[in-house]
Amino acid sequence: MGDPLTDERELKEAFDRYVVPEIEVLYRVARSITRNATDAEDLVQDTMLRAFRAIGRFDGRHPRAWLLTIMRNAQINRVRRKRPELMRDPDATMDRVASEDKDDASPEAQVLDRGYEAAIESALDALPAKFRTVVELVDVQALSYQEAADILGVPTGTIMSRLHRARTRIRKHLEQHGGYVNGRPA
Amino acid sequence: MIRRPWYRSKTSPASCREVGRVLQHYLDSEMDPEWAARVTEHLEACKDCGLEEETYREIKSSLARRQPSATDDAVARLREFGRSLTDD
Ligand SMILES: [Zn+2]
Repeated sequence: MGDPLTDERELKEAFDRYVVPEIEVLYRVARSITRNATDAEDLVQDTMLRAFRAIGRFDGRHPRAWLLTIMRNAQINRVRRKRPELMRDPDATMDRVASEDKDDASPEAQVLDRGYEAAIESALDALPAKFRTVVELVDVQALSYQEAADILGVPTGTIMSRLHRARTRIRKHLEQHGGYVNGRPA
Repeated sequence: MIRRPWYRSKTSPASCREVGRVLQHYLDSEMDPEWAARVTEHLEACKDCGLEEETYREIKSSLARRQPSATDDAVARLREFGRSLTDD
């Protein structure tokens, strides 16, 4: 162990190297799992604070996976505080909370949502929360299967099967409600 | 990341069935690159599978364009928060 001042500088360096570059990804993931801008920001702050406290013990390997796991635990804690009765299945709880706390579409998004994009939007809204979250993480936020598995605390096989079922549903929805042949504009 | 089954040679062309089974992995770039190249070849030659791929690619890229608004401000505030954690 070095003297405290050196340690403090080392901690700051580690934080800048491992945590700061991931802030944007963390925020996007937080948006996907909270469905709410304010909650997402709080969740990332909470995650950063926990990461800062733990950074001295972090071995430097796979910082994103490490941070996503911290975020998952932070989120479970927040949900537990908010709705203790829902804690039996943390994964289901995250999904349920995600589907309840929904942002209203911004006016700008409403203007842009036309045609195919609007049909995609309504297909996404029609998905069960469990599927929707996986689609948001992998397709909207471009996380890998492994990263999505880390944040949801499920095996990658579960991510794959949920994704597959979600996409099949989106496609069917486009055909049935959007008038898209074969899931695409006729 | 998935690999092609051991009993299929890496250089033999992919079949429609195989492509159907791995299409989602292919779209998500979660595939052994050599095998992905065989799938690409198949998709270029087979109309049905090619159409299937296009359908899902369209959905995926449309989803990728959906980003929440006001992300930049929030990220800037979070960076500031990060500085406040380490600056004292
Ligand atoms: Zn084919």
